[in-house]
Amino acid sequence: MKRAGTLCFVWLLMILSTTGCWNLREPNQLAFVLGTGLDLTKDGQLQISIQIVIPSGVDGGQESGGGTKGKSFRVISATGKNVYDTVPSFQAQLSRSLFLGHRRIILIGQRLAEHGIGNLLDEFIRNPQSELRSRIYVVKNGQAKDILSAEPIFEPFTSTALVHQQATLGLKRYYFRDFLSDALSQGLQPMLPTVRLTDSKQFVYSGTAVFNKDEGLKLVGFLDDKDSFYANWITNRQAGFALTSFVKRGNGNVSLKLQSLGQRIRVKMVDKQIKIDVHLTGEGTIVENNTDLDPTKLKDLHIIQDELSETTQRSIQRLIEKVQKQYKTDIFGFGERVHQQYPNQWKTMKRDWNDTFPELAVSVKVNLQCNPGENNSSVKIMP
Amino acid sequence: MKRFGKSHLKNKLETDRQSTENSSSNISKNIAENEQFLKNMFHNCSDIIFREIMIHGETKLLLIHVDGMINTDIITSNVLKPLMYDGLPQGLGTIDSIAQMCEEELFSVLPIKKLSNYGDIVDHILKGNAAILADGENTAVLADVSKLEHRAIEEPFNEASIRGSREGFIELLRMNTIMLRRILATPKLKFESLKIGNVTQTDVVIAYIEGTVSMPILNEVRKRINRIQIDAILDSGYIEESIEETHLSPFPQMLVTERPDVVAAGLLHGKVAILCNGTGCALVVPLTFWEGLQAHDDYYERFLFVSLIRWVRSLFAFFSVLFPSVYIALTNFHPNLVPQELMMTIAMLRERAPLPTVIEVFMMELIFEGLREAGIRLPKQIGPLVSIVGALVIGEAAVSAGIISAPIVIVVSAAGISSFIIPRFRFGYALRILRFPLLILSGLFGLFGLAIGIIAILIHLIQLSPFGTPYLTPVAPQNTRRLKDVLMRWPRKRAIYTGPDNEADQP
Repeated sequence: MKRAGTLCFVWLLMILSTTGCWNLREPNQLAFVLGTGLDLTKDGQLQISIQIVIPSGVDGGQESGGGTKGKSFRVISATGKNVYDTVPSFQAQLSRSLFLGHRRIILIGQRLAEHGIGNLLDEFIRNPQSELRSRIYVVKNGQAKDILSAEPIFEPFTSTALVHQQATLGLKRYYFRDFLSDALSQGLQPMLPTVRLTDSKQFVYSGTAVFNKDEGLKLVGFLDDKDSFYANWITNRQAGFALTSFVKRGNGNVSLKLQSLGQRIRVKMVDKQIKIDVHLTGEGTIVENNTDLDPTKLKDLHIIQDELSETTQRSIQRLIEKVQKQYKTDIFGFGERVHQQYPNQWKTMKRDWNDTFPELAVSVKVNLQCNPGENNSSVKIMP
Repeated sequence: MKRFGKSHLKNKLETDRQSTENSSSNISKNIAENEQFLKNMFHNCSDIIFREIMIHGETKLLLIHVDGMINTDIITSNVLKPLMYDGLPQGLGTIDSIAQMCEEELFSVLPIKKLSNYGDIVDHILKGNAAILADGENTAVLADVSKLEHRAIEEPFNEASIRGSREGFIELLRMNTIMLRRILATPKLKFESLKIGNVTQTDVVIAYIEGTVSMPILNEVRKRINRIQIDAILDSGYIEESIEETHLSPFPQMLVTERPDVVAAGLLHGKVAILCNGTGCALVVPLTFWEGLQAHDDYYERFLFVSLIRWVRSLFAFFSVLFPSVYIALTNFHPNLVPQELMMTIAMLRERAPLPTVIEVFMMELIFEGLREAGIRLPKQIGPLVSIVGALVIGEAAVSAGIISAPIVIVVSAAGISSFIIPRFRFGYALRILRFPLLILSGLFGLFGLAIGIIAILIHLIQLSPFGTPYLTPVAPQNTRRLKDVLMRWPRKRAIYTGPDNEADQP
């Protein structure tokens, strides 16, 4: 009995002496941050905006008798020298302490992205409260603050809406920590999804932003929706998408809903000349057929498959050429592949990879498999 | 005054000693002397009947018994009628005493004892025997003609079952042993009889199956029961408390059951049962942790279903211990571990709550325990009222008044209800007690404290071994063969009785 008592006492002392997360805070002592926006003001200062939840405004099942529902979130901003420098000024505006554990999204304004974000990443990793599983977006033609303030159609917060939208678009999960690992690895340049705000204050997904980490993570350009899908296909960040293309021999368009996308990048070294083979595969169902062809017939199906593959192949070739010539950044991770297959050669190559990349010989092969879909032949009423 | 008190005490002690000395002495041949002695002993006991039987005008016999405890019909027809109407038979021949006559001629089947010690005679009278003392003889005849009034055998109140026997133990030890004997009709089933309790002299039976029983357990039980020094045994709980391994464990170390089939199953597994007069609850020694989570009709139902139910049970058992403390730890210490949408809802519901979550949970837990206790104690007519008041007032009103946040009601009631899923309800007590220290630990230190608490419980469970049986067996120490009966219930082998192989079917 006495021994048990002493044991308990020692135990409790041990618990008290351990450092750790044992500071009790009730949920109503916390200001939950759902999204962080980073912007550069006109006079060149860093402006951070945070979206915080107002719990009493969240609709949680029980209606309070048809009364006017308050706003569910508020966006507040502060300027500072670096990211954490703004926290005291946020705290000065709030009666509850900031809680970053539920941050779902980090937005970067275009102006800041063009200026370079390489020196702003440290706080996100170093601060123990920071959540590395936030999604990250670049705001095209606008400020991050405006996106945070926008009211989405379904969800109460833009932050969660953007997260859900990624899944709906067929994009694989891409967290802030993945962005960090891309930014810190060799032979790969990061690219981030972008959103922009329409005139009616709604956010729209609009492709991909391409960065150059060798210049301090500077934004070098954008890819449009379609090119983004292709780029994500090559880098295995896309689970599926819909493809519509004109089929010449059928004199009409065919839409294909692609589901299982595969990619294989191989590096060949011939006389110290690197050659990249990109082989992309995809399976899909024909969801619309405006041609004269009948996909249930194997011959016609082959025609459709071949033509779709060919046009996609051409588009991807154009995309790679554009990235090589215009942006000169290796967003496809070809350097990473060279690193893996030829680690010894890579040591000498990695220093001037950025100069090698635009000159690379890349061959693309696309192989699409189509399921005919529900109908036999095209349903078409012609005049 | 003081002196008087002292001497009074001294006198009392002396008379006590005298009477004990006397009670161990033998009866004399003089019936009047015996009568006087017994009447002194049963002084002011209005329920003791002294019946003098006069034969040929002089006192010959004395019948002593407790009023209402004996079957007067037997005494009347067997003893009083022959003796009073026919007189003492003449020419006894080989029979030379009343005692012998009673034994050989009057009582045909009934068990008879010839005793000459006062103490023994008194004990037997109090247990429902009729004593017959004859003039000129120094042995008394004690006939077991007890008429034992008892409650009918009913379905066990606290251990209902869908399938299986509906018999439950009653307060009469003899009936209970009969029920056991009916199930286990083998001479190997032994009932060792003892009397415990200086005042109550309660009959206690140690039951076991010879050859099957684990001898170390049986010897340990015998040793511990013989060590009991107590005035009264009013329920088997007294015995349980006197022989259990440690009082400090919240976990029960023996099974308490009202069902003969449960006792029989325990005996067949080599356990020892302790039955006690005056209570419908038998003890089965020892109990292990996993048996605490098993129900008796697990073995009567089909194994697939039972295995599923066992998983559900274990899940809910852990749930009932941990849910409130996990809730506190997660919402107050680690909100980032809760999914964001859920956390927002919890935060919204907690927005107006005036009290800290720990206090809220503690209050609700106490109220729940109070309601449970009230539900047991209240008369049956008021019982439902308590649940209505409890559910409406405490649950609904407290939430809508904003004193308690809604998730707390869900957490506490879910944990409370799931503690009732445990079939051995006394095992559920343990889980209910453990909820409170875990609550404090997680309220002070979060998941870290909770982990420490769970480790402490596990250490306790591992070092607990009632009657030399490790509490967590067959998991720790591991017994692979018996693991089949922990979270699963492995099916018995099929016996195929039909078909041409069966000899009975052959033409």
